[in-house]
Amino acid sequence: MVVFSLFRIAVSALRAHRLRSGLTLLGVIIGVTSVMTIISALEGMAGAIEEDLARLGPSTFVVRHIIFITSDEMFWEKIKRKPIDYKAVELIENGCELCEKVCPRAYQSVTAKYRDQSLRDVFVTGATANYVDIVDFEVEQGRFHSFEDDLYRRPVVFIGDLVRETFFEGVDPIGREIKLGTNKYTVIGVAKKRGSMFGESQDDFVIIPLSAFSRQFGFPRRGLSIVVKAPTVEDLDEAMDQVRIILRAQRHVPYDKPDDFDMVTAESMLDLLNSLTKIFRLGLVGISSISVVVGGIVVMNIMMVSVTERTREIGIRKSVGAKRRHVLIQFMFEALMLTLSGGLLGIILGFLIAKSLVGMLDMQITPSALAIIAGLTISTGTGLVFGIYPALKAARMDPIKALSYE
Amino acid sequence: MIETRDLWKTYEMGAEKVHALRGVSISIDKGEYVAIMGPSGSGKSTLMNLIGCLDTPTQGEYYLNSRKVSQMNDDELAAIRNREIGFVFQTFNLLPRATALHNVELPLIYNGTTGQDRRAKAMQALEKVDLGDRVTHKPSELSGGQRQRVAMARALVNDPSLLLADEPTGNLDSKTSIEIMKLIDELHRQGNTIIIVTHERDIARHAHRILSILDGQIAEDLTVPESQRNGVH
Repeated sequence: MVVFSLFRIAVSALRAHRLRSGLTLLGVIIGVTSVMTIISALEGMAGAIEEDLARLGPSTFVVRHIIFITSDEMFWEKIKRKPIDYKAVELIENGCELCEKVCPRAYQSVTAKYRDQSLRDVFVTGATANYVDIVDFEVEQGRFHSFEDDLYRRPVVFIGDLVRETFFEGVDPIGREIKLGTNKYTVIGVAKKRGSMFGESQDDFVIIPLSAFSRQFGFPRRGLSIVVKAPTVEDLDEAMDQVRIILRAQRHVPYDKPDDFDMVTAESMLDLLNSLTKIFRLGLVGISSISVVVGGIVVMNIMMVSVTERTREIGIRKSVGAKRRHVLIQFMFEALMLTLSGGLLGIILGFLIAKSLVGMLDMQITPSALAIIAGLTISTGTGLVFGIYPALKAARMDPIKALSYE
Repeated sequence: MIETRDLWKTYEMGAEKVHALRGVSISIDKGEYVAIMGPSGSGKSTLMNLIGCLDTPTQGEYYLNSRKVSQMNDDELAAIRNREIGFVFQTFNLLPRATALHNVELPLIYNGTTGQDRRAKAMQALEKVDLGDRVTHKPSELSGGQRQRVAMARALVNDPSLLLADEPTGNLDSKTSIEIMKLIDELHRQGNTIIIVTHERDIARHAHRILSILDGQIAEDLTVPESQRNGVH
């Protein structure tokens, strides 16, 4: 095969100029690395968020007076809203026939204490017993609180892994008493470790019965948020409509005014998040792409120098019968080998950097097919785009002029 | 074998037209040993480029082995050069970083000869020019005469119908020149068709026929009597 011989010629040409090839490679490596880092990190983050939202099943939605704010006007409008109260929960439970499970939640941050140890800013959720059925908690040890625990306001607590680790390293936590703020609670269960996102641990939570929560904290300042589960995904829209009608009636929203509460599904939350971060992500990829273009220009520049420098070689090759395509392929091989090997190294390096970056934020990251394909496409594309002009220039050389070039 | 009819080559230098060749008609048979002579600027290089299929005429026809090459495109010409013509240049024109063997293999690469076959043919050609023991040397490790012999091996490796030598001894001392001319004489004796372009009468007198060119036209077409030839025949 002629092509194979041309490939070998290209390889030996690159090897003859090791330093130059290496420096050119560096340009491509930097470009691809930066793109890879960004894509991998973004993917890792999106993956973590997605996983988190997936804990709410696909047929579940959340109702709260404010869930998201995407602009200043929205802030000023939503800040005036009334929180969701217990009455709303009751109305939904009774009036919404497609709401299979209705779980009100309340939040508070407190300092948790066990003997002489304390943990600040522990996220206390007060929830009804069905919370564990709706949200995909994995119980590592013990149990979640029961309907009776909630009914009798028992001071029991289900703890996150960080709380367990802090207070009960090497000790069985079940049955021990911890203090949340002012009140004492008996540990009845431990959740499986969830890891962290954006550097925030997701295991610094505790969950207590909603009744016990209201006894200690009263009506939550930040209102209730209700998690509702429809029987199936198909019923989701219908169930959301029923809840909407109930709440609008309860809150006296005139027919021509928009809802004064927010409802989101895991999917819509994800969409919102994606749309909010889209420009940010595009911007990041755009900025890092500039370095790929710079890498490409470096390749083109070197190839132009190389073609000019080897004018005589091209003349010799042509005089002994090299056709245009032979010369073209030889130089394209050189450009492609530079960008592809730079690309491969860039992918590996980018992945490693993303891994260590994300490692600092304690997020999971795996080599994504998208990132690898993007890296290979970018580097091949760069080679093709920036290599074609010098290669064409070489291929079109007049053998006589090339032979007499000094 | 070579047949040109009224070849013209015109270069445009700005508004001015320069006629490098003005109607050259020559005919060279297979097995001939021809020298093309002329002072610089006479058009002999242009004629050599046309005969060597490195260029096409502005006007006129050129038949090589009964094939009309005067209107071929770049790639067709490249194929003709590859199969039919072996070049020997004044400046050797070897690839400086490649070994003698690789330099000789070059024409074979472009007609798709591969592996063992290519290597064997290149070795054979190098042995023909007495360089069988220098195959792994690079041009910089060889003397001028040896370099020119590598170039000759490269020219011969594809068994071309025409060996075209452009001032083959121009960069060599007289002793090496004699050596190279001996080799060319020998190649002619083996049946190769040879055209030498030169401005040295001594070199030209190795050939059996001398075409003198002046101002882009054939001024003289002379057969050299055996008694006046240089070299051993």
